[in-house]
Amino acid sequence: MLRAALLILGKDLRLRLRDRSVLLFGVIVPLGLTVVFSLIFPEMDEFELPAAVVDLDGGPIGAAFADELLPELVAAEVVVEVPAADEAAARALLADGDISAAWILPEGMSDAVAAGRGARIEVLVNPDRALAAEVAQGVARGFATRIDEVTLAVATAAVSGVPADQLEAVGQRAATSPPLVTVEPLVAQDAQLDPISYLAAGMAAFFVFFTVQYGVTGLLEERQQGTMPRLLAAPIPPASIQIGKAAGAFLLGVVSTTVLAVGSRLLLGASWGPPVGTAILIVALVIAATGLMAFVGSYARTAEQAGNLQSIVAVSLGMLGGVFFPIGAGWLATVAAVSPHGWFLRGLGAQVADGDWRAVLPAAGAMVLFGVVAAVPAVLRLRKAIRW
Amino acid sequence: MQADRSAERIGDGRGSDPSAAILICDGLRRAFGAIQAVDGIGFTISPGETYGLLGPNGAGKTTTISMIAGLLRPDDGEITVVGRRMTPNSTRAKAEVGLVPQDLAIYPDLSARENLVFFARLYGLDAARRRERCDEVLRVIGLAERADDRADTFSGGMKRRLNIGIGLLHEPRLLILDEPTVGVDPQSRNAILESVEHLATEGMAVLYTTHYMEEAERLCDRIAIVDEGRIVAEGTRPELVATIGSLDVVRLEVAGDTVRAKAALEAHDEVTSVDTDGTAIVCLLPGAARALPQLLAAVAATEATVTAVEVRVPDLEDVFLHHTGKALRD
Repeated sequence: MLRAALLILGKDLRLRLRDRSVLLFGVIVPLGLTVVFSLIFPEMDEFELPAAVVDLDGGPIGAAFADELLPELVAAEVVVEVPAADEAAARALLADGDISAAWILPEGMSDAVAAGRGARIEVLVNPDRALAAEVAQGVARGFATRIDEVTLAVATAAVSGVPADQLEAVGQRAATSPPLVTVEPLVAQDAQLDPISYLAAGMAAFFVFFTVQYGVTGLLEERQQGTMPRLLAAPIPPASIQIGKAAGAFLLGVVSTTVLAVGSRLLLGASWGPPVGTAILIVALVIAATGLMAFVGSYARTAEQAGNLQSIVAVSLGMLGGVFFPIGAGWLATVAAVSPHGWFLRGLGAQVADGDWRAVLPAAGAMVLFGVVAAVPAVLRLRKAIRW
Repeated sequence: MQADRSAERIGDGRGSDPSAAILICDGLRRAFGAIQAVDGIGFTISPGETYGLLGPNGAGKTTTISMIAGLLRPDDGEITVVGRRMTPNSTRAKAEVGLVPQDLAIYPDLSARENLVFFARLYGLDAARRRERCDEVLRVIGLAERADDRADTFSGGMKRRLNIGIGLLHEPRLLILDEPTVGVDPQSRNAILESVEHLATEGMAVLYTTHYMEEAERLCDRIAIVDEGRIVAEGTRPELVATIGSLDVVRLEVAGDTVRAKAALEAHDEVTSVDTDGTAIVCLLPGAARALPQLLAAVAATEATVTAVEVRVPDLEDVFLHHTGKALRD
């Protein structure tokens, strides 16, 4: 049984490597797409927001923004400050593309806030840089919320009978005290890979579902090209044909994903975490992919039909699993759990965050479960393919 | 003018000594849904004997050899190859059989030698034997010069020869050839027929299916005429021809309404079988020379015109017509 399966596997590998489709879809295309995406979306790699602040207020609130908040953002390498003398200068910088956003702190803002009249921070943005615009608006909203908190603290103190000469101290204390409640990032976000690693892992997970397709399409091709009766007439157990095909698909999947992992690390600096955990995840991913693609392909009558069905499922699961763009917390993360791709990325993120290969085990277990649950009915259904 | 539906066997009824037989088939039956593809076929083949299954497309020939090669399990009946019972899982019986399927069964992206080496390994030939047999088969099928070229660069005839070569590779005791000359040019066809003749002289038992009468007549020591899943007659060519007695074949080329002309001939007392072949009507009857004027008059009465007449001795096609009531090409 094993000898015959290995002979069939060897023959198939020779054919697959000869037509170069495995090399193309297993390694070159995913690696190439990772490079292309990293060039198209440079913001994903290193985000920075060139921005200007125009402080027309001149009061304490304007100073809090320009002299306290902004230096913090600059120090955190989120914002690159570009000087602008006034609003016209800021608009000119924005039009020239020298900055992506500008905060205009209006004249009399501090006085208006102190008088309880309210004020408005204007955020000028470049609509072509959506992410930068979103960040700039977020900074302004966060600052406004903080002002509201201080105002509320002062008002509460006044109502509570705190003497008027002490209200400024209350305001100062409220402004400088840390928030009473902080929100910790969710684990899924905490465990997020860096953008290049995420792209590389996402592409690897996405394309391995195409690489392993031939396990089933190979069986159907043997029937279509007339070689199946010859295999069935040979003195080998019929099941060895199925085993040889599945083993070939599995082996190609593991090799192509491993080459991608090593290649993206060497060429792009992607971080896959501890090698042991990565190896476990790759094996589990390929088990899931082989099982699922065999199950989908078992409903086809021809290799072409199988390829089409498998591609639809592979693309759908890839999208659900977030192979192209990171999925944070929330309902999208829940949806990603129905996809082996999502588990693969989650497992990889967990081991990179923890630095411990054991962090991959839950995700690997989920993927193996996917594979086994799909493979059992697939094997039963594909028995008809090795009958005449 | 009813066709004789019972199998007519000549000689010992089995054709060869079962104890020495390479292949024994007994009472094979196989249905696909409501269609009874094979309905009680049985025969034996001895070493060095070429046995033909002759019948039209859909007669049950391919289903029969699929069971003999272990691809299909019979619903009923038994197959023994070199004393071993054949089933889809009997690897020892399969090792004694070489199969040449009707459709090409080669890997187009592999070279001729790679195709042979792969199947030689599947049949368990060791490295030295593999090399020896591959070289020998490449020589026999005339592809030694193109051994390292991919099969998809071959002509149709070369592919057919490679298809046959794979079946010969492990020197099987029984070689099954399923319509190996379909779609082959005359030159390659002749080469294939010569190869089969040569194999039989070397002691190989050959089971040959065809719907070409001339191939069966040229190659086969014994022939089974198969129709609707049954053997309707079996024997050597002379024995089969003798089954239709002293009948002659009259072929009339007719201009006009051939349907009415055929009906008129069928109504003639002495005519045992009638079939049409394009504009021709073929009749079987005893004493054709004597009855010919009456036949011509019967056709003329239908207002059809006979443009040519041929009277000849019967061949296997006529035997088939006699036993089944229809032409082999149907």
